[in-house]
Amino acid sequence: MKKDSEIIIQKIMAHLTDTLGDEDFQTLALELFRYQFQYNLPYKKFCQAQQKTPLTVSDWRDIPPISIQGFKALTLSCEPIEDCEAVFMTSGTTNPEKRGRHYHPTLKVWDRSMKGPFKDFVLPDRERITTLVISPTEDQNRFSSLARYLTNAVTHFGTARSRTFFTENGLDVDGVVNALRQSEETGDPVLLMGATFSYVHLLDALQEKDDRFSLPKGSRIFDTGGFKGQSREVEMEALYQQFEEIFGVKREMCINMYGMTELSSQMYDQTIRTKFSDGPVIFDKKGPAWVRTVVLDPNTLTPVQPGEIGVLAHYDLANWNSCLAVLTEDLGIEKENGFKLLGRIKGSEARGCSIAVDQLLSANAIQG
Amino acid sequence: MSGVSEVLSMYRVPREVSITECHEENIETEQGSFTLKYPVLSPEIVVDAARKAQNARDVYLAHLPLMEVVEKIDRAIQKWLDPDYPLRRWAEALLPILTGYHSDIIRLELKRYMRNFRKKELLRFLDEEFDHPGMLDGFRPRKSGGMSRAYGPHMIFHVFSGNVPGVQVWSLIMGLLVKSAALGKTSLAEPLMPVLFSMSLAEIDERLAESIVILPWKGGEVELEAKAMEACEALIVYGSDETVEAYRHRVPIEKRFLSYGHKISLAMVGKEALTADRYEDTLHRLAADIAIYDQQSCLAPQMVYVESGGVITPKDFSQLLACELERYEKKWPRSALSHEEAMAIHKMRNQAVFAAINGADVNVYMSEMNTAWTVIFHRKADFSGSPLNRTIHVFAVDDLETAAETLTRFRRYLQSCGLAVGPERLFSLSERLGTCGLNRICAIGEMNRAKPGWHHDGRFNLLDLVRFVDIERTAEMLAEQYDPDVE
Repeated sequence: MKKDSEIIIQKIMAHLTDTLGDEDFQTLALELFRYQFQYNLPYKKFCQAQQKTPLTVSDWRDIPPISIQGFKALTLSCEPIEDCEAVFMTSGTTNPEKRGRHYHPTLKVWDRSMKGPFKDFVLPDRERITTLVISPTEDQNRFSSLARYLTNAVTHFGTARSRTFFTENGLDVDGVVNALRQSEETGDPVLLMGATFSYVHLLDALQEKDDRFSLPKGSRIFDTGGFKGQSREVEMEALYQQFEEIFGVKREMCINMYGMTELSSQMYDQTIRTKFSDGPVIFDKKGPAWVRTVVLDPNTLTPVQPGEIGVLAHYDLANWNSCLAVLTEDLGIEKENGFKLLGRIKGSEARGCSIAVDQLLSANAIQG
Repeated sequence: MSGVSEVLSMYRVPREVSITECHEENIETEQGSFTLKYPVLSPEIVVDAARKAQNARDVYLAHLPLMEVVEKIDRAIQKWLDPDYPLRRWAEALLPILTGYHSDIIRLELKRYMRNFRKKELLRFLDEEFDHPGMLDGFRPRKSGGMSRAYGPHMIFHVFSGNVPGVQVWSLIMGLLVKSAALGKTSLAEPLMPVLFSMSLAEIDERLAESIVILPWKGGEVELEAKAMEACEALIVYGSDETVEAYRHRVPIEKRFLSYGHKISLAMVGKEALTADRYEDTLHRLAADIAIYDQQSCLAPQMVYVESGGVITPKDFSQLLACELERYEKKWPRSALSHEEAMAIHKMRNQAVFAAINGADVNVYMSEMNTAWTVIFHRKADFSGSPLNRTIHVFAVDDLETAAETLTRFRRYLQSCGLAVGPERLFSLSERLGTCGLNRICAIGEMNRAKPGWHHDGRFNLLDLVRFVDIERTAEMLAEQYDPDVE
């Protein structure tokens, strides 16, 4: 690894703390931008096309966010990709060649960025918890950042009873049921973890068997990914209601994590954290101090007026090797205590008979 | 701003149909405020309105001589050609707000559009497709012997789209020409023009207008749509492939089903249109095709093939086209976009920028602060759809004839080609384009303005609607024999 990379890693690791203030964020972001502009050539060209260089950028908000498309079309890495410890890929299924790739020369920054906030948002009240995982973990998919995340959670925060229930044959529902019953008997609280859609399968299976649980106090449910459609909010609330009915876990002990392959940090509902502090329970999402989220007007890609809906861009200092500024396709809105996620922007929809490009592409994919 | 306040129903039903519940929307326009009333619909209302409209048609329109129908439509259209006609003024005030298009474009294009339906043009529609339009009145002799008569459907269910203001009028008039009652479902994006046009018809002949029902509802109201489908003999669906499919599945097999789904149009510019004295006009025309209605019409180009060998190169052409679009933006700003539409443009731009970073010979010219316009220049000829809203691909080609070959795989979607070439190539190139699946060749600068008698998406406007009844020569001959006075 080149010297400059080692230096930047060291600086960033030192600043992945709760106490990172605005000033330090500013300094570090600009320094990281200089580093990425120098070593990440496709990103440099992207910035140049927008007439943004370290000389013209003096505020982190002016660092050009690269669209998540960029992770598909370009090789965004400051270090040579051959030497990377890991590459995480997005799950796009239509064209495997066109999956987004996020290179990690070392996972130590990623791991550090995951652990602190996990403890803070998911387990503010305890050191370890029996963790039951219903989605694939790292040994099953080494290209998935979520799999790594889940494995880390079990390794660093799980008890000896923690287990994963996703096998090559799919979800072991009976295994989950047994583990949950055991917890009911012993009073050992559990953390259920998995992708949102994994719960849909699990709940279907449990409902079919008419299984109901009353999980011990302190149990919690973690989901991530959400639903893709426009009715995200409604569907999420329905899901949490089912969690309460079937597992006996209240809404404030449910937490949705918002993460992306293209980032190296995660954002969370503040439900559990605020429940264990004295104030009211907050549902808005928040990331660690080294991630800043801005809401942009989809037309101009400049910040919206406070309270307006827009597309989210994240500035993540832990993204040291790729691009710290990432433009998503997620709609959101800034709230008093963070932001709220409103779902994915759909493909463009022409108003009439004129066919728009997305539809054409999918039509071609079908033809073949 | 004047103090006028108008209440306008965004629907039309026969007189005896009662709509009791509406929700109202207040709109401020240059001409004062309007209260738009949208009906709260039930399946019963749809059934009742359709039945009464069809009765009105059965007893009146069905027996009205064709030339009288033509005269009456013409008189309604003549009203629209008067700039002071109150309904035209309403349309000019309301449409910019309902659709987001610039008021100048609407003013200009709406009157041009309405001219398509003057008497002489209506006769053109009829003569284009019927050897003898009188067949719509009664049996007429055929060249091959015998007699034929054409019957339009009792009732046509029109499912309108809302992309281009007034476009629904075409469909409504075609229905009237074949003497059918109409049940029009308007899109909430543009529910106005069918209502205003039927009001004009009512001013001319109230009985005639009784056979028209116009109701707005959001697509997917299955119960309403089921009743409308039951009531009609034919359906005409405009919209996306998804919309068309959603209806096609549900239509009983015995009903006639016509659809106008997704289409892609393009332009081709030959080097002869890029001479020193011509290229500016060429650019100006193409920019108009892109800017008018923001490419929301399927008639508008999504890409243009530009031939090398003129005084300006295809790349120069792209840059100059960008300037021209910037001028349009200053004069007639594009409509505001949804989040999805704006992001689709960014995605298209990104795709091109990333391709260029990866070494592809692609240049992106775009409005600086927003998504107002985008020109993507490709050195290598290909095919690429546009996210619309003034986003265009320019492909450099050595000769247009070769470029035409690449189009074949998209034949299912191809529609219009705006063409700027010399007379010696017009026919040979058109032959090729026709083979590739295009069905309309027109001048650049005129792409958004399909002409009366156009074979819409390669099909008929009227013939596809009617059913013929033939009296064969044998019946005629035999009948003669039963004449008591036969020798």
